[in-house]
Amino acid sequence: MDFSGIWQYIPNLMGGLKTTVMLSVCALTTSIIFGTVLVVVGRSRLSFIRVLVRVYTEIILGIPVLVLVYIIFFVFPDFGIRLSPIVAGLLALTLYYAPYMAEAIRGAVNSVSAGQIEAGLIIGMTKWQIGSRVIAPQAIGVALPTLTGISIGLCKDTAILSVISVIELAFQTKQVVSRTYAPFETYIIVAFMYWSMLTLFEIAMRKLERRVTSYRAT
Amino acid sequence: MFDVQILIDSLPTLAKAGIVTVKMTVISAILSLFFGTISCMLQLSNVRILYWISRTYVSIMRGTPLVVQLFLVFFALPMVGIKGQAFIAAVIAIGLNSGAYTSEILRAAVQSINVGQIEAGATIGMRRLTIWRRIILPQALVLSIPALTAEFTIVLKSTPLASIIAVTELTYAGVLIQARTYSALEVLLPVAAVYVFVAVAFMRLSRWLETRFSVYRM
Repeated sequence: MDFSGIWQYIPNLMGGLKTTVMLSVCALTTSIIFGTVLVVVGRSRLSFIRVLVRVYTEIILGIPVLVLVYIIFFVFPDFGIRLSPIVAGLLALTLYYAPYMAEAIRGAVNSVSAGQIEAGLIIGMTKWQIGSRVIAPQAIGVALPTLTGISIGLCKDTAILSVISVIELAFQTKQVVSRTYAPFETYIIVAFMYWSMLTLFEIAMRKLERRVTSYRAT
Repeated sequence: MFDVQILIDSLPTLAKAGIVTVKMTVISAILSLFFGTISCMLQLSNVRILYWISRTYVSIMRGTPLVVQLFLVFFALPMVGIKGQAFIAAVIAIGLNSGAYTSEILRAAVQSINVGQIEAGATIGMRRLTIWRRIILPQALVLSIPALTAEFTIVLKSTPLASIIAVTELTYAGVLIQARTYSALEVLLPVAAVYVFVAVAFMRLSRWLETRFSVYRM
C-alpha cells in the first residue's frame, strides 16, 4: 500500500467533505420540515388525505434511494421538470427521509402522556403553549436517538448522489482515484473521513441527548 | 406518453437483471446472517479482544457509506487474487455492511433471553457453543424475525448500489435501457414498482413468519 501520491489531493477531498456536510444539513432540515408536515397532514379529518400519506409512506419504505434519485433525475424531465443534480439530489433525499422523520416525530409526540396535555388545558394554556412548553421539551429527548440514527443514514446516502455527478466526497474520490491510480488507498482515507465525521457527530448527539433529558434524572 | 412497446421490448433484459437482483439479495442476506451471528457471539463473549474486534467492525460498517465499502471491497479483492468479479464484491460488501446491523439486532434479542436458561444449559453440562446453538440462537432468531425482515428489505434496497461497480442488476439494466432509448418513464417506473411490491410482500411474510414461529416462545 502506498499512500504517498494521495496527500497532495487531500484539499480536493476536504472540499468534497464540505459539500457532503452542506448537502446533509440542507436535506436534514428539509426532511424534518416535510416530515412534520406529514405528521400533521396524517392526522387530517379527510380520510383520502390520510390514505394518501400512508400510501406515500409505504412506497418510500419499499423504494431504493438510488431508484428514487434516478426517477427524479431521468423521469421528471419527461414532465417538463428539469432539475440540476444538486436540487434533484436534495429533493430525492428529502422525499426519501421525510417519512422516517415523521415516524420518529410521531412516536416522540405520542410518548407525552395525555394527562399532561389535559392538565395544561385545565390551567388555561393555549394549544401553542402546550406544544412548546409541555410536548416539545419532552418529545425532543425521546426523538433525538432516532433522529441521530436517521441523520447518519442520510449523511451516508449523500454518497449515492455521486452517480448523478453531485460533486461531493464520493464523487471527488472517483476524480482523485483517476489521477492517483491508487483506488484502495484513496478509499481507505475517504472511509476514515466519513467514519471520523459520523462518529464525532454521534458522540456530540449523545451529549446533547443527555443534556435535554436531564429533567428525567430527578 | 407511456409507450408500452418500449416496456415490452425491455422485459427480457429486465427479467434477467431481476434474477441478478434476487440472487444478490438472497446471498447478501445469508452472508449478513453469517457475519452478524459471528459478530454478535464475539461481542457477548468474555474475551476482551474479541469484544473490541466486533465493536470496531460494527462501528466501521455503520460509520461509512455503502458506496465507499463497495469500492473498497471491489479494489481489495484483486489483492487476494479474485479479479473482475463485481458480483462477488457486491455481495461481500452488502453482506458485511448489513451484518453489522444484524449483529446489533441479534445482540438485543440474545440479551432478552432468560439467563436462567443459559445457566441451566451449563448445569446439565452443555458446552458454550452447544448452548449458543441449541438454546440461545434458535430463540434469538425467532425473536428477531420482524427486525431481520426489515433488515433484509434494506438489503434488497441496497442492491441497486452494486451498479456503481457495474453489476447489471435490475436498476442498472433500467438505466442502461434508458440511456439507449431515452425513455425513462416506461422503464424506471416499473422497476421502482417491482421493488415496492417485493418490499411490501416481504413485510407481509414477516408478519406471517412471526405468528408461525412464535410457538417456540415461552
